[in-house]
Amino acid sequence: MHKVKPEMRVIFILIVLLFAVFLFIPLVVLLIRSLENDQGFTLTNYTDVWSRRDLTRSILNSVKVSALTAFITTVLGFILAYGIHCTNVYRPIKGAVRILVALPMLLPTITYGFAIMYSFGNQGLITRITGRNWFEIYGFNGLLLGYVIYTLPPAFLLIHNAFRYVDRKFIIVSRLMGDGTLRSFKNTVLRPLTGALGGALILSFILSFTDFGIPASVGGTYEVVAGQLYQVMLGSIPDFNQGAVVAIVMLIPAVFGIWLLQALEKLNFHVDKMADTPLPKHRIRDTSFGILSLLVVLGMLSIFAVMFIAPWMNGYPYDLTFTFKHVASVLESGDLTGVYKHSLWVALLTSFFGTLAAYAAALLNVRTNLRWRGITDTISMITNTVPGMVLGISYLLFLNGSSLKGTFTILMLCNIVHLFTTPYLMAKNALSRMNPSWETTGELLGDSWLRTVRRVVLPNSAATVVEMFGYFFVNAMVTISGIIFLVSAQTSVVASKIKELQHFAKFNEIFVLSMLIFATNLIIKVLCEVLQRRRAVRR
Amino acid sequence: MSRLLKLQHIRKQFDEKVVLEDISLEIGTGEIVSLLGPSGSGKTTLLGIILGLTDMDQGKILFNGNDISRVPMNKRGFNIVFQDYALFPNLNAYDNIVYGLRNKKGISKEEVQETIDFLELGPHLKKRISELSGGQKQRVALARTLVTKPKILLLDEPLSALDGVIKESIKQRIQSIAREFKLTTIIVTHDPEEALTLSDKILIINQGQIAQYGTPQDIIQQPADAFVEQFIIRQLQIKRQNIYQLFGAAHA
Repeated sequence: MHKVKPEMRVIFILIVLLFAVFLFIPLVVLLIRSLENDQGFTLTNYTDVWSRRDLTRSILNSVKVSALTAFITTVLGFILAYGIHCTNVYRPIKGAVRILVALPMLLPTITYGFAIMYSFGNQGLITRITGRNWFEIYGFNGLLLGYVIYTLPPAFLLIHNAFRYVDRKFIIVSRLMGDGTLRSFKNTVLRPLTGALGGALILSFILSFTDFGIPASVGGTYEVVAGQLYQVMLGSIPDFNQGAVVAIVMLIPAVFGIWLLQALEKLNFHVDKMADTPLPKHRIRDTSFGILSLLVVLGMLSIFAVMFIAPWMNGYPYDLTFTFKHVASVLESGDLTGVYKHSLWVALLTSFFGTLAAYAAALLNVRTNLRWRGITDTISMITNTVPGMVLGISYLLFLNGSSLKGTFTILMLCNIVHLFTTPYLMAKNALSRMNPSWETTGELLGDSWLRTVRRVVLPNSAATVVEMFGYFFVNAMVTISGIIFLVSAQTSVVASKIKELQHFAKFNEIFVLSMLIFATNLIIKVLCEVLQRRRAVRR
Repeated sequence: MSRLLKLQHIRKQFDEKVVLEDISLEIGTGEIVSLLGPSGSGKTTLLGIILGLTDMDQGKILFNGNDISRVPMNKRGFNIVFQDYALFPNLNAYDNIVYGLRNKKGISKEEVQETIDFLELGPHLKKRISELSGGQKQRVALARTLVTKPKILLLDEPLSALDGVIKESIKQRIQSIAREFKLTTIIVTHDPEEALTLSDKILIINQGQIAQYGTPQDIIQQPADAFVEQFIIRQLQIKRQNIYQLFGAAHA
């Protein structure tokens, strides 16, 4: 492989410094603060938290609702993925399911809660259409529904991707060898997917356990860890040391979960080449999976329908005459459009610098001989483990007195660190598949390393760069967990503004802002898709 | 033939494993030399050391009498065609060929055209790399290297990815490049037949050490040891037997 150049070392040092200052040090500060009190360093904060019934109750509640979410999401995710890969469901339905299931990812989770309220509340859209009140939305039920909608897209994607380990030839062979339906299903579908199903279960659990947006909207009096953490840190009597303890408590299942995820990875099958084997016909299977998949996806999306209807009505749900006034008032309000512009600015900064950092880290890791390049893998593992809220609190504690507090820079940095893992892995995957001799060839033809990267490596990974940019952008637009502790009046973004508007019951404004985020993310997604496809066609 | 390149007592070790031990040889101007040996024998490492891509632990490399052991790869003036060609897929065939000219002054358009004509690449210049056949890719990679006028041309398994007739045509092409441009060419191969029919001299490496260095005739007539006998002569004999079995009756 290519010899180490000074510019590689410089970039490497910059990346390590970035994560040392904005990941490791804040986490160390968090740990120190969790041990610190008037008497010095003791475990008193931990024992205090343990003796507070509300906190222990919230931990147990979080475990309960997250565990049930994880189970439901994994089953639903499996049904959708199975319908796509192992049935002859009408192709356009498969395509629609694949696209529609990912749509909630374009919205902040805090919006989910309000959509649930406007769908299943006493005057909710679904309540009125079906003529009955289905369940009490505030508390456990609302949380469960919100978490399922939130975790279904990533869980589905994980299982959907893992279906590449399911060789459909084996399904046919198994049936030809005389296996019954159950045995065949177990050996040829469930077994290769064990790792992914376990992964989906853990991922959904961690996401639910650490999410702040959904409890902030429909949590009601059902206390969960994220809500308690917010209260302890930013409530009427803030207690930073106890907040640090709760953050550490939140970190524990995340660390354990990521460790389990890596262990489960080993259960995955690796198939080099798989023939596109047609499936035997089975009308009942195909019809039932087609209907079931559509029901799940449309059911999920119907909850959001109200978000797109209510702001266009004079006084939903009582006066259903059409009006532009709510949308117009948001667009005319300098305050709200300003907040939207802030979101856009933070998302653009995050995507640009985030893509740069993740790409550079992956490049150094995969395509150089730097001795310590494995550090970027460790960084990626840690950023994957630390929940957004924990990161936000560590920043709050670490940067409290600094000039970075309340700036766009800190929001951007928090987002970059929080979202780093996925784009980093995308870049690693793309760069490792490229010809390893390009840099040497470029050097022999007179280019410096950086110039070869610019002229050859970067153009050949443009599709991945676009995908990374899109990932950073969309997630920076919707994230709330990380930045809720870091925004100021001058840097307020849409997701945090929604939290504020909730206090004044300004739901039309909430939905209009959510629609704006949704539309922006949709445009970016479509643009990225078009750019990626264009690159693929040109290649 | 004047001695252009001299390797003196080259040694290379990766961790605990000695990959090359006391490699010394001289290569003349315009010679084609093959580095031949089984997988893991150290031939690719030796090619990397000559190129400047891999550092050696001991030894010296002299080019035209000057010690270039510490000269960095991009200053040595040698160039290589990798086994997988390392063509840049974001550029078409022509842009690949002229890629290095931005950094190398004094090469005229006519000279580039001569190389393109010599390698019969005219009809393929606008094609994307993915649209080229294996042989065409090989020729584009050769052209990209030749237009920069390397002092020594290194080829890493140049024929291994090609089949039958194309292989023969590229073989002839390599020979005519060496003769036409008086270009010293060093080739890595694991195929004895390829080495014997293509090269002026062959360096046979076994477990990091020189087993024999000589002309194809030397090696056929006086194999230095049992390894050369087994690795070269025996393989060729088996091949000959197979061919006789196939064609013997018809050609009898």
